[in-house]
Amino acid sequence: MENRLLALRRQKRLQTLLFVALALAMVIASAVRTEFTPYTVFQGVGEMFRFVVDDFLPPDLSTFRELIGPALDTIYMSYIGMVIGAIVSVVLAFLAAQTTAPHRGVQVATRAFASVMRNIPTLIWAIVLVAAYGLGTLVGTLALIITAIGTLTRAYAEILEEIDMGQVEAVRATGASYFQVLGQAVIPQFFPGFVAWSLYKLELNVRSSTIIGMVGGGGLGFVIQKGLKLFQFKEVSLAVILVLLLVAGTEFVTSKIRERIL
Amino acid sequence: MREMASLLEINELSKVYADGTAALKNVSFSVAPGEFIAIIGPSGAGKSTLLRCINRLVKPSGGAIRFRDIDAAAASRRQVRLLRRQTGMIFQGYNLIQRVTVLRNVLHGRLGYMNAVSGSLGLFSRKDVADAKAILHRLGLTEQMFKRADELSGGQQQRVGIARALSQKPQLILADEPIASLDPVASRTIMEHLSGICREDGITCIVNLHQVAMARDYATRIIGIHKGEVVFDGRPGELSEETIHRIYGAAPDWREQGGESLARA
Repeated sequence: MENRLLALRRQKRLQTLLFVALALAMVIASAVRTEFTPYTVFQGVGEMFRFVVDDFLPPDLSTFRELIGPALDTIYMSYIGMVIGAIVSVVLAFLAAQTTAPHRGVQVATRAFASVMRNIPTLIWAIVLVAAYGLGTLVGTLALIITAIGTLTRAYAEILEEIDMGQVEAVRATGASYFQVLGQAVIPQFFPGFVAWSLYKLELNVRSSTIIGMVGGGGLGFVIQKGLKLFQFKEVSLAVILVLLLVAGTEFVTSKIRERIL
Repeated sequence: MREMASLLEINELSKVYADGTAALKNVSFSVAPGEFIAIIGPSGAGKSTLLRCINRLVKPSGGAIRFRDIDAAAASRRQVRLLRRQTGMIFQGYNLIQRVTVLRNVLHGRLGYMNAVSGSLGLFSRKDVADAKAILHRLGLTEQMFKRADELSGGQQQRVGIARALSQKPQLILADEPIASLDPVASRTIMEHLSGICREDGITCIVNLHQVAMARDYATRIIGIHKGEVVFDGRPGELSEETIHRIYGAAPDWREQGGESLARA
């Protein structure tokens, strides 16, 4: 007994050592392949610093007025992308969660669909959509809705799978019908996770709407892309600052809402 | 004549789960209105399965269950709802909806009587709300009415569980180990409430218990189950130590019962 324990512990230690060695080997291999060394990083920093200070600073505040519209567009896109994405995802999540899916086949199909939506990057969706709908905020909004559906369907489905079935059973035992059980036992348990994930998605949307804008999705991203092409770096830097403010602002607001509700 | 008067009739009931476990084997007994029956037996004897077959949370594999005029084993979806709304259930883990108020949890007992829309949205009638408040008052929970269920102690939550069952205006209450998660004092309170209310309102009650002492103190009849089979069915006074040994396969776990049972026998 004692010996077996000792042998087991030795084996465990060997495993840990092997794992560490493997992780280290991967770090070194990756660094070599990407020509990453602390020295090259330092070399670049000087150039980057000069570029930022000389070309970007100070931000051109006179263009502030022109940036209000695109900034609002970014907010609208993110918000509507989250809301519509959330509505569609709630329905899909009920089909994708093991606990609520009407049929195993439906569950697998819904999950596969969400996975495709999610795993194709927002940027690619935007590029494809620009080809179909032309430049503008509509494309950005659609791209955000698509990835929101991918992400939120899975997140919501996982919340549904983690709900306490004891509470559900108790309401079912009162003689409640399927939709009554859903409304009175499932949704109250689902709600906090639903709010938390939807707000998180709103934050992500504000962030990625910038990238989407750069390929023609409208909003601040589009301004940044245009400015870069025309070498109007001082205008770009104001737009970047606005993006940062928007992201920080959204995070602040969403965390306040989360505190209130949860 | 007794057959006619029974509220619940269980005949040759058996349940085999998908994994092959035979939880119940040929269980038969009938329940007269007003009885307070304790079902005792070790963990895994099939007590929970038995209760869940009665309100069809579990579908029986064989045999018949008749509740009033409903054939429970073969009931349609609509009949199952009718059956369930006349049958209150109380759980070991209380199973209250944690995030909503105590009052709303009690109102859930009305869902079986409501239509799909108002039920799903929780639009309870003024009368239902007034009744629910009266039930909470009866259980001494008036002050807790608007608190969230998860703010209550275990004993209080179980009283809400009783209140939820009562708001169904049930003919029968099924209680699955209602005091297994409670301390001795809270356990007594719950059993007092449950037996008192059932007696006053003429509600029939079947309680799964693993404390023999509690069963002796409150039940009008005790059914002992061992490995899915009924091995004892009689008055509490007829339950000998020898029978208890047969029900539990060996001596029951005295630690859980504080040795009371031996002393009383």
